Amino acid sequence: MTSPEQHDSLDQLPEAVVDEERKGLPIVWLLPIVALLVGGWLIYKTYSEKGPEIVISFKTAEGIEEGKTLVKLKDVKVGHVETVEFSPDLSEVLLTVSMVKGARPYLTDKTRFWVVRPRVGAGQVSGLGTLLSGAYIAIDPDDTGKQVNRFTGLETPPVITGGRKGTSYRLKASSVGSLAVGSPVYFRQIAVGEVTEYHLSDDHEYVELGIFIESPHDKFVTDATRFWNASGLDVSLSASGVTLEMESIVSLISGGIAFDTPGEQAATARAEKDHMFTLFANRAQSREQPITETTTFALAFSGTVRGLEVGAPVEFRGIRIGTVKAIELGPGPRGTASLVPIVLVDFEPQRLQAYGTLKNSPRALENRDELVSDPVARVHKQVEEDGLRARLQTGNLVTGKLFVDIGFYPDAPPPVLIDNLGYPQIPTIPSSLQGILEGIQQILDKLEKADLQQMIGNLNQLMVSTSNLMVVLEKDAPQLSDDLHGTLLDARRMLSEASATLKTVNNAASPRGEIGNQLQDTLKEITAAARSIRVMTEYLERHPDALLKGKGIK
Amino acid sequence: MRAKDIGLASCHTCGLLQQLPPSGHAHCPRCHSPVHLRTPNSIQLTWALLISAIIAYLPANLYPVMTVTSLGQSQSDTIMSGVIYLLLHGDWPLALIVFVASVLVPLLKMVALLYLLFSVQRHSPMRKSQRTRLYRVIELVGRWSMVDIFVVSLLAALVQAGSLATIEPGVGAIAFTSVVILTMLAAMSFDPRLIWDHEEAHRDIT
Repeated sequence: MTSPEQHDSLDQLPEAVVDEERKGLPIVWLLPIVALLVGGWLIYKTYSEKGPEIVISFKTAEGIEEGKTLVKLKDVKVGHVETVEFSPDLSEVLLTVSMVKGARPYLTDKTRFWVVRPRVGAGQVSGLGTLLSGAYIAIDPDDTGKQVNRFTGLETPPVITGGRKGTSYRLKASSVGSLAVGSPVYFRQIAVGEVTEYHLSDDHEYVELGIFIESPHDKFVTDATRFWNASGLDVSLSASGVTLEMESIVSLISGGIAFDTPGEQAATARAEKDHMFTLFANRAQSREQPITETTTFALAFSGTVRGLEVGAPVEFRGIRIGTVKAIELGPGPRGTASLVPIVLVDFEPQRLQAYGTLKNSPRALENRDELVSDPVARVHKQVEEDGLRARLQTGNLVTGKLFVDIGFYPDAPPPVLIDNLGYPQIPTIPSSLQGILEGIQQILDKLEKADLQQMIGNLNQLMVSTSNLMVVLEKDAPQLSDDLHGTLLDARRMLSEASATLKTVNNAASPRGEIGNQLQDTLKEITAAARSIRVMTEYLERHPDALLKGKGIK
Repeated sequence: MRAKDIGLASCHTCGLLQQLPPSGHAHCPRCHSPVHLRTPNSIQLTWALLISAIIAYLPANLYPVMTVTSLGQSQSDTIMSGVIYLLLHGDWPLALIVFVASVLVPLLKMVALLYLLFSVQRHSPMRKSQRTRLYRVIELVGRWSMVDIFVVSLLAALVQAGSLATIEPGVGAIAFTSVVILTMLAAMSFDPRLIWDHEEAHRDIT
């Protein structure tokens, strides 16, 4: 091919169809704009969702990880730990926490933070979920305080969080015992609250406990409510047997407080928040009326007062009316040089006031009023007229503890009083044990005086007549003996005959005897028959046709 | 001599050699496919896509690509934090692969495209064959950046064991996917013939 031809062929090439030229910016420039918009929106979103940043200090950062550990409220994430740093003096760790937007109003100086990690206490197990997910920081928001950015985290979870309704009270106790923060508070053995804290009072005289009673149970706490320490077991032994009282197994281990309002005072006003109550050592103590008025009497005993202790009850016909206050040695009655035990007892008239039934009896009421208003005069009068005496009684046979029993003994000897004791006196009589000992002594004295000589003479006479009787018996003995011999011979003959008969029967029945032989033969026959039947059935099982055809020949 | 100089082009679809108008925008008289001497608006298109990719590159690296929730504990990782995590655990070969494929390659790709665009627009006569080779490498290597996205999407689909372990893709993953796709498109829309277009002109001058 030549060059011009080539050029010609190039000229003869078909022409492309011309497109209209597009004007303006290509649509592709929308893409960067969209990218910018999306990017801008992302940045805006990130910044607008960014909440306040706060610093929380803790003693230890156990279980807390930078960037991972969350702050949760009711298990919903409200923030996360950004960084973990030391305080300048290394005594604490400072967590920088980024909270979600909208958290600002709740970050006040009343807001509390604590770390939720697995805790196993005597009474409760908590935070088990964090075993797998790791620890997290819990928040108890409170928007009533002043807004701050620095917080001090609690080392132990608070007992009361904002979400719990109820009332807190204060208790005054002589010692904290086995109570701890979180120990339950029981009302009729149902846990209705917890111990929130305890500390020594400012003067270190007693322990002050804070408790929290959940709503609606807090409305049962009135000014008259009694709190007592329900820790451990309360075992009491009484005439009706052993009583074992325990609020719950939990309280046995971790201690607990119970409260109740005595029935006759249930109507009193509801106690105010943070009202101070006394924590009694046990239920029985809480039941007692507070004793403020006492009248002291002195009792001079002639015998020993071993087993009587300070605090032992003073009872009138089984009802407690007072307490032993002191036991001392003092001068004996006039004319004696020895010292005797002087027991001071407190008569507590307030113990007599709670019995409403007396209102129906004007005479008894009058008597009681007289006793309450002027016990000394009343006692003196009754000593003179009715033989009012005090004596020691054994309260418990096992321990030998004594109590003072006041009663009327009209036959008692006239009172012997000691001068210058400084207290009004109640004359005493010997205790019951002392009385028994005296009685035995009297019996022995009587025995001593009895006529022993005559008794011995009588005894001798009895021996002589017995001897005579024996002589008569001896005379008749031979004849009796012969008769007895005959009877014995007959009996022996009978026995030998019986023996022979039995031997015959035995022979017949033995395997070699007649009956035995026959029996054995029969058994053999039966065995053989059974065997052939078994053979036949086995054969039939295998050759059922043998029933028709007969046994074939193998 | 270039086909452009004598106004000829062959159809990209049916191969018919034909004369093109000066505007360069036309379609084949035989198969009606568009025919042009150079990719139309190549520079503009590449610029638009590249700028979008650069914008998307920021969230791709700043936002988490993946959130792993295991036993109630969740952890969000950006690309770089993942690399650092691997490095701290002594898996430096793996860290290197992730770093190169997911951080370095997209970055270099964008830088290289920027260089190509600038040099073409400034009619630079320098290192034309190297630039062409660079373009080939960009086109070839671009798709490998998708490895990360494949891993994330596979894991997110496979690991859905409720509270035991869940993997969710993050905002960063979407941004990163856009970066990879946009740079690939940008590389495709760039017409490497433009690199050589001023060869003749320069030769004439010199």
